[in-house]
Amino acid sequence: MRRKRYEIDIKKNQTFGLNITSMTDMFTILLVFLLQIYSTNDVQIDLAEGVRLPASISDKNPVDGIKISLSMKELKFDKIKLANVQNNSIEQTAIDPNDSNFVKPLFDQLQKYNKENEKSAKAGKILFQADQELPYSTLRKVLYTASMAGFPHLKMVTVVGN
Amino acid sequence: MGRRFKLNINHNSEFELDLAPLLAVMVKLVPVLLVSSAFVQMMIIETELPQVVQQAIEKQEQNPKAAQIAVELNKKDGVKITITDQGQQRVEVVGYNSQQQLDLQALHHKFQEIKKEHPEIFKIEMNPDSDIPYKEIVHVMDEARRARSNQVRFPVKNEKTGQETTTDYMFPEVVFSNVMDG
Repeated sequence: MRRKRYEIDIKKNQTFGLNITSMTDMFTILLVFLLQIYSTNDVQIDLAEGVRLPASISDKNPVDGIKISLSMKELKFDKIKLANVQNNSIEQTAIDPNDSNFVKPLFDQLQKYNKENEKSAKAGKILFQADQELPYSTLRKVLYTASMAGFPHLKMVTVVGN
Repeated sequence: MGRRFKLNINHNSEFELDLAPLLAVMVKLVPVLLVSSAFVQMMIIETELPQVVQQAIEKQEQNPKAAQIAVELNKKDGVKITITDQGQQRVEVVGYNSQQQLDLQALHHKFQEIKKEHPEIFKIEMNPDSDIPYKEIVHVMDEARRARSNQVRFPVKNEKTGQETTTDYMFPEVVFSNVMDG
């Protein structure tokens, strides 16, 4: 008599119930975490590329204003690149030859903004994002130029921390 | 005689809760929150202050004889605070510690002492050296602007009602006085 070949018994119509309890637990934790960090600010500031903001204990929420960012690589007005930053300093071609603190492209851009938005220009709010490692000499050029263009009040953007 | 109908309840029975709809909601909600959440919480350092403090700052600005506090930051000395009151100058220095970092706690105590001596002053003039990094300037501003402890409060007079009240603000008005220097 020939031996019968062994065959695995597979029931093709078999169904199984997936245990989703652990998955639900995971999602609940994730949901609570996301709800906790969910920001309800009126104004959302996009972190400028390449900018490591300094940490501060300030608890003021951001307000709307003109966004100027200064990273280790470039100076930007909103999303418009105004000048390169090399060796922690704004490139020489963007600086007025007669005034070492005057950043010409930034001044022109702020003047242009003043003409286009007379109402908001009067409030003169600048949201300034600068890299935490940049020296004061570089920041000063932006502060100086902004003051000259009629924006003496600067809001320094920071991250929460000690 | 008809037998009374009795509902047969099995108290030891178990049932499994259908979690599928709950999971479906979560699966939709989690990506929405992930996309719209800001993981880096940003704040600003600004000068919007309580009205009483604003009034006190205005009063200080109108008074040319008010004491002046200048804060210099340099790599050699650390933080040098110069208080000029009625023609007399006093200098307080808070230097770097052994790890070449500013002693922020000592600096905060120093600002508190100065504030207790001059509760009417709310403005400081900041003069950082060119090579001072931005983060150090922010740290010094943090220590000067507000008392860290809620129990430390300073008297302030409401100019409209004449009543005395208290505030945790020390020197909230920070002016970079060397911006316009050549």
